[in-house]
Amino acid sequence: MSTVLHPGPAPSARQLILNGIFAENPVFRLALSLCPAVAVTTTVLNGLLLGVAVLFVQVLSSLTVTLAKRLIHPRVRIPVYTIIIAVWVSAIDMSLAAFAPALYAQVGLYVKLIVAFAIIISRLEVFASRQPLVPTFFDGLGMGLGFLLALLMIGAFRELLGSGSFAGIALAPGKPLLFFALPAGGFFSIALLMALFNWIERRTRGGKAARAKSAGGHGV
Amino acid sequence: MNLHVIQPKPKLSGREIARIVLSMSVACLAGAAVLGLVYLGTERYQRASVEATERGAIRDMLGLGATARLLEVRQYLVPGARQVVYRAAPLGATAGTAHEVTFTFDGALAGEREVPVAVPVGKEWTPLGRMFVATQAGRPAGFVVQGETHGYKAPIRLFVAMEPDFEIVDMRIIETTDDPGLGAEVAQPWFREQYVGRSAEEIARLDVTKDPMPEDWKQALVAFARRAPDGPARHRELLQRERTRPIYAVTGATISSRAVTEGVRKTVDHFRRRWWLLAPHLEGSL
Amino acid sequence: MSRARALLTAVLAALLLVTGLARGAEVRVLSARVVAPSELRLRFSAPLPRADAENFRLTHAEAPDIPIPVSRVRLTGGNRVVLTFGQRLMPAEHYRLELADPPLARDVRPAAWALLLSVMIAAAFINNFVFTRYLGLCIFFGVSKKRDTAIGMGITFTLVMIFTAMVSWALDTYVLRPLQLGFFQIIVFIGVVAAVVQFLDTMLRKTHPVLHRKWGIYLMLITTNCIILAVPLLNAQTSNGPLDALALAIGSGAGFALALFLMSCARERLEYARVPQPFQGLPIAFALAGLFALAFMGFSGLDFFR
Repeated sequence: MSTVLHPGPAPSARQLILNGIFAENPVFRLALSLCPAVAVTTTVLNGLLLGVAVLFVQVLSSLTVTLAKRLIHPRVRIPVYTIIIAVWVSAIDMSLAAFAPALYAQVGLYVKLIVAFAIIISRLEVFASRQPLVPTFFDGLGMGLGFLLALLMIGAFRELLGSGSFAGIALAPGKPLLFFALPAGGFFSIALLMALFNWIERRTRGGKAARAKSAGGHGV
Repeated sequence: MNLHVIQPKPKLSGREIARIVLSMSVACLAGAAVLGLVYLGTERYQRASVEATERGAIRDMLGLGATARLLEVRQYLVPGARQVVYRAAPLGATAGTAHEVTFTFDGALAGEREVPVAVPVGKEWTPLGRMFVATQAGRPAGFVVQGETHGYKAPIRLFVAMEPDFEIVDMRIIETTDDPGLGAEVAQPWFREQYVGRSAEEIARLDVTKDPMPEDWKQALVAFARRAPDGPARHRELLQRERTRPIYAVTGATISSRAVTEGVRKTVDHFRRRWWLLAPHLEGSL
Repeated sequence: MSRARALLTAVLAALLLVTGLARGAEVRVLSARVVAPSELRLRFSAPLPRADAENFRLTHAEAPDIPIPVSRVRLTGGNRVVLTFGQRLMPAEHYRLELADPPLARDVRPAAWALLLSVMIAAAFINNFVFTRYLGLCIFFGVSKKRDTAIGMGITFTLVMIFTAMVSWALDTYVLRPLQLGFFQIIVFIGVVAAVVQFLDTMLRKTHPVLHRKWGIYLMLITTNCIILAVPLLNAQTSNGPLDALALAIGSGAGFALALFLMSCARERLEYARVPQPFQGLPIAFALAGLFALAFMGFSGLDFFR
């Protein structure tokens, strides 16, 4: 769980986006909101749809909170954040059902579950409620993009190996390693990709810093 | 969630409480307003896309051309009066009239009239099912009927497509539950395609066996399902041999396989009886 | 206290006696069971005045206008009747039986307890929410490090799950659906979760402060658990009745508790293993979960009541 608060002068847009994609990638580094990471990534398209949905919810919620932060009483901020997120999730859910019904049929339940994601509400608490409009927008965008890219990566990995196709286009004659399309394979895919991220992190940042930031579990 | 150290909370003054209540109420009302607007905006599109998907699926199942018209017949049960009511209207029509025919349980005609499509059905009426009649040049070109059967857990809904002589053209299973494991097995193409090409009489006597499927039959079914160029020919050839044999169950899903077979049998049988009663009254709508 | 109880018992007994006597006069269907391939076995409370084929009418529940032809009626002893039909009957199907004389009607369907048990077992094993549906993972990986925390979380979660699922079901069935407010489902369900968690937290703090200090933190974590929201949504999606909703809640809670327990046992052992550096922490936990998921796949053919 990210414990780095951002109270000081806001970082630049580029820094924020890159932070969301790499250093604090919600799935691989912060290990938040893992449920969909395994569930919907059987194909690239499913992962894309959910990633885009989360991106929209994150950005819209962050913007709403940062615009209304004076109106939200600190004692009830968590319920209010929850309401805001729930409203946007419902709105995105209805829009997807109306405009992309075929894809929505496969990931419908998981779109509705976005409201329970820890990543979104933690972002609101940690960043959006303290920072002005523009940095909040880029932070939300960065986190959303990080999530989307993570889902796309896992989806590509599982679909290529498990179904021999990419985004529905068959590439291999059969199913090379059907295992990866199954639930168990999903867990293994994430294990491998997370380890890969950790390994890259160590190589680019050097030993000490990496050990301090390696993706550990929640400390409960 | 960001968990702070649990600090003792100070008592709130009356004004603080009022501010909190106001804050929450505003949030709730604003949220409800936004949701209401989004709902109003998207509802129309959602209905349209559901309808477009249905229409596409029906045309696909029956292999219809663009000139075919689709008539939707909805069946309702009027509980107290022991009657069933059928309402027939072009699929997706929001204006114009629907033809309404009422029968008693014994098959006697109890009423026939035209009602505007927009008029809703009686509140106590229970929807029993939907049937789609495809017409080309004023004559039936095929039927697609919705059916339901009970697997071991949740109902399995399926669509059966038939020629005008009730020979099965296609069968699709609509998964109603989020069931990735067992239930989904029977939706596999090669299992579904076993029903295609069988006449209504053969379906009525159909049984299910746990014996393994002959490999050549399975290959033919897979090719047929995948619409390979030689698929239909191979399928037709082997169907002559397999016609008299039972349906081969999916390994590990015998119950669901039996349920689906019963579902197909039931759907075809019920539709034949109902169509026999209905057809004379729907001549004008075809 | 005991005098009041004795009085109450006496009143209840009297009522039962009276109603029993009153009902003893009429014929009732005591049991109706479908026996493959095409038999329906009935047991009545008294002999039937008429026992010819025209007296009975059996239809599929969803096709009341199409009777299934009776081919034979057999009276076996003890007010039992065996009907044989000209068509195959499936034990899992829902039928409706009507008699002309005496005028009776009865739904013929699999025993409710068998269905509910199968829903529960399905939710706990075959479709385990963690290993097959991949829900609740966030909390799962955080809490499964030690056995004690895992057990605590499992129990807390199951109780909250049952409570939340039933309240959500009630709200959905009696408020949202009749008023066509289906699109409020997400907000209402998460609101119920938050309210239930808050209520239980406050109650626990007041009544059992020791327990609260030990388990209070799990309550807070439950709010971000996907399963707690998924079960009401699934119940709404499949329009479950109250008993089915309860069965799903119990099954999912039990399944989650089981998954947590198994995972914690394994992770405790993992402390002593030499894990390669990139895999330390979450990645190896995921791999472990993958192995469990593989094992749980073995349940997929599980079938009880046939």
